[in-house]
Amino acid sequence: MTISQGATIMPGGGISRRPLHFIVMADCSGSMAGEKMQALNFAIAEMLPNLVAWEQEQEKAQILFRAVAFADTPRWHIEEPVPVAQLRWKPLHHVERGRTNMGPAFRMVAEALAPDRLERRALQPALLLVTDGLPTDPPGQFGAGLSALLALPAGRAAVRLAVAIGRDADSEALNRFIGDPQVPVLVADSTDEIADRLATASIALSRMSEVGVDRDALATQLLRAAPPKSPPSAVDDSIV
Amino acid sequence: MDWHLFTASIQGTAHRAAALPNQDAVGSRGDPAQAGGAPLAVAVADGHGDPRHFRSGRGSQLAVDVACELGCEVLAGMGGAAGPDPVRAQLAQRLLPGIVHGWRAAVAEDLDHRPFSAEELRHRHPGDDAVVAYGTTLLLAVFIGRWLAVAQIGDGDMLLVEAGGRVAVPVPPDPSLHGRFTTSLCQDDALAHFRVGALDLDQAPAEVLLLATDGFGNAQATEPWQPGVGADLLAFVRDRGIDWMGEQLPSWAARCASAEGSGDDTTLALLVRSAPPLRP
Repeated sequence: MTISQGATIMPGGGISRRPLHFIVMADCSGSMAGEKMQALNFAIAEMLPNLVAWEQEQEKAQILFRAVAFADTPRWHIEEPVPVAQLRWKPLHHVERGRTNMGPAFRMVAEALAPDRLERRALQPALLLVTDGLPTDPPGQFGAGLSALLALPAGRAAVRLAVAIGRDADSEALNRFIGDPQVPVLVADSTDEIADRLATASIALSRMSEVGVDRDALATQLLRAAPPKSPPSAVDDSIV
Repeated sequence: MDWHLFTASIQGTAHRAAALPNQDAVGSRGDPAQAGGAPLAVAVADGHGDPRHFRSGRGSQLAVDVACELGCEVLAGMGGAAGPDPVRAQLAQRLLPGIVHGWRAAVAEDLDHRPFSAEELRHRHPGDDAVVAYGTTLLLAVFIGRWLAVAQIGDGDMLLVEAGGRVAVPVPPDPSLHGRFTTSLCQDDALAHFRVGALDLDQAPAEVLLLATDGFGNAQATEPWQPGVGADLLAFVRDRGIDWMGEQLPSWAARCASAEGSGDDTTLALLVRSAPPLRP
């Protein structure tokens, strides 16, 4: 039994908010070297206080944060779920000549979301994929990894968003990961925009996980925060 | 058998913050003392919080009313049943279809009296049957003679604690329940999603039965929480007494419904068998 500060004697082992598992899958391939990786680390570190503030504002969820770094192979950057308020971000590092294999990263996250590893009372997980390139998985591996994730109830139910660093990374593969044509990939056209896109994505993810996924609302919110830009025109208007 | 029944229903802080009412309901029919062998039915229900289910608070109340009424009526003759199979059969073949039909009829009547407003219709999804607006879970327990008949659709928890300390969940688990998703009385195939049980209280003498909407279980920090909560409830009966438990019940629900807990509406129905000896 537990005794609260107000001297309520309750049956059981105490109460707490519902877990909201927030997992970042960060591209650490060779192309992320230098300014992009610095900007990504800055952006994640900037995102965390926003998540802490959101956690305090709402009445239901406790954010538990994890991160996967992926290149040729994935590895847990933060493996054990950490309450976001307690997290101190340790910088990610790129893998020299590392490729952008996403399928194994999806499998790694799927293992963490298996029914026997996730609390029964957990809210829908929030998954954020950040990449600057197209997947380089061997044939079939991207799809197989994504299928493994979506085969799980929690993987299917997860709110999934993607941030593309550079317009070239805004690929059909990311749309497949998101799984909803209404929800856009958030594009950071420059390293300066990474922090903004991550802040937008993280709060949207958290809110949608807590209150339930209204895909229309999510799409509207994201489009308002980061409207898609016109594709580059064949002619640079500025010099005409 | 003679039972003490206590109930509490508290609005969740997340509901309050979202300007939503308490969408849970709790109710009972019959005499907790079961004088003359009359049945006792107790139910809790949790109206879905999604805006699409914009009349779920009304839906949960109708579900509780219909289920308790029919539970007493349909199972009234089952006190002398020789085994659990006839009780389970009566439950599955007569009571549950009656509840689904009765709830839909009650919803239709409610709509006749109070048609959807323009504001409500903004939340209705294209193609939704009107009952979707009233979507709710339902947990029902009916005591009749030596039998306890239970039925549940959707999330929430039932916990049975025997005098010997064994803690049991009297309905089978539903693997389709996870995260925010629940089965519902408003589904076309609601009957297929009910989980039922029939327990012989002579064989497994129950001392405590707890029915709870998911605001309670979702607030519990330990997993699984059922053994600890069950053991503590039994200890409370013996060490502190039934009246103390009745006094405490609202505060348990309130803590679970708070921002320290699930933040969700929390409704409890606690039945404690009468006159257990207090420990000296």
